[in-house]
Amino acid sequence: MHRNKQIAIILPDTLQSIGLQSMLTDYFPPVEISHYPTFEALSASGNDTFDYYFTNAASFVLYADFFLPRRSKTMILIDGVESEGGVSATTNHITIKASQEIIIEQLEQLFTGDNNSISSESNKELSTRETDVLQLIVKGSTNKEIADKLNISLNTVLSHRKNITTKLGIKTVSGLTFYAIMNGIISGDDIEL
Amino acid sequence: MSEVVEEHPSLIPVINRFGIRLGLGDKSVKAVCEEYRLDTDFLLMMINTFLNEEYFPEKKLQTFHTSQIIDYLTKTNQYYQRYQIPNIERHLGSFISMSTPGNNILNLIGKFFSSFKEELTSRIEKDDRIWFPYCLSLSEKLKEYQSSGQIEALHLGTEQRLEDPIEALLADLKSIMVKHLSGDYNENLCYAVIFAISSLEKDIKQHNRIRYRILTPMVSAMEKLCI
Repeated sequence: MHRNKQIAIILPDTLQSIGLQSMLTDYFPPVEISHYPTFEALSASGNDTFDYYFTNAASFVLYADFFLPRRSKTMILIDGVESEGGVSATTNHITIKASQEIIIEQLEQLFTGDNNSISSESNKELSTRETDVLQLIVKGSTNKEIADKLNISLNTVLSHRKNITTKLGIKTVSGLTFYAIMNGIISGDDIEL
Repeated sequence: MSEVVEEHPSLIPVINRFGIRLGLGDKSVKAVCEEYRLDTDFLLMMINTFLNEEYFPEKKLQTFHTSQIIDYLTKTNQYYQRYQIPNIERHLGSFISMSTPGNNILNLIGKFFSSFKEELTSRIEKDDRIWFPYCLSLSEKLKEYQSSGQIEALHLGTEQRLEDPIEALLADLKSIMVKHLSGDYNENLCYAVIFAISSLEKDIKQHNRIRYRILTPMVSAMEKLCI
């Protein structure tokens, strides 16, 4: 299961933001989008964990201190049909007057680089330790009990649980129980479903 | 009105909840609402939020009366119990019996669904017995306050809602079938099951949006005023 892409759109133009949001949601899910009319609003939010930033050339130049180090994660909206030299040569950009098809291609270019790393990290198989944790979860143990039994810290248990959920795409204990029985990690007799 | 329903047949159960039945003719939404004595704004709002996931005008929804919202939620609950759950069960039943017997995984899916059903049923029961009457009594109390001169608008907090267990269970059920199904099974019936689960999931998402983002904040605001 892919993690949601966290995206910040820093644009004063509401229609532009919404248009961009709808293209991102339609063509590049899953995304989680936050809107900021100005750069100040973004800094005021104190949130700096975005995977991507969308902004216009003016803000990019004005807040170059912020955007330059994040150049590979930033997309600049440029007023035109075709890209010309200048800023656009070295940075990711969308030409807002181009056709939808071209804009989608431009967005694709931004996201492809990253996608590879995401898919390689989501290895489907559970590790031995994760299987141990899964067995205990399914038997109804609390996180604390699991930590004690396996001699690991509570935080480690939590991170194992998070990884299990990401790998299997299953969140609830009932769902995990089902998966465990199905894959012989635990026998159906041990447990009441 | 008929045009929008033709375009989006998934609306049919929604309008049924309001008592509107098919055979709409060429009547406008307004005319239909007048005929059934419904609040046009409220119906439109429900239809729009149902169709469009981005559209969720919290401020405007919160101006409707508590009893309207509870009435709608009660009806969606009834719809789950009377139609959608039995519907999935029917599909699931034939899916399990028509697929190769001995595919244990299918029986397990059946069990998993039953545990989901129990969860949903108990939530509905709690709604009917405790939660909804409580919300209504609060809103009655508030009316008395307001008529006695203490008119104050509700100040709604914006709390983040936790993951809903019902939604999570359904998502898991679907995910298990899509990602982890194995062995021999009947493709057509499998699709029917997943399709039915998806449509229930979509409906419950809408229900939960109203429940957690409208009703819950309204209630906590009323509590602050009354107590």
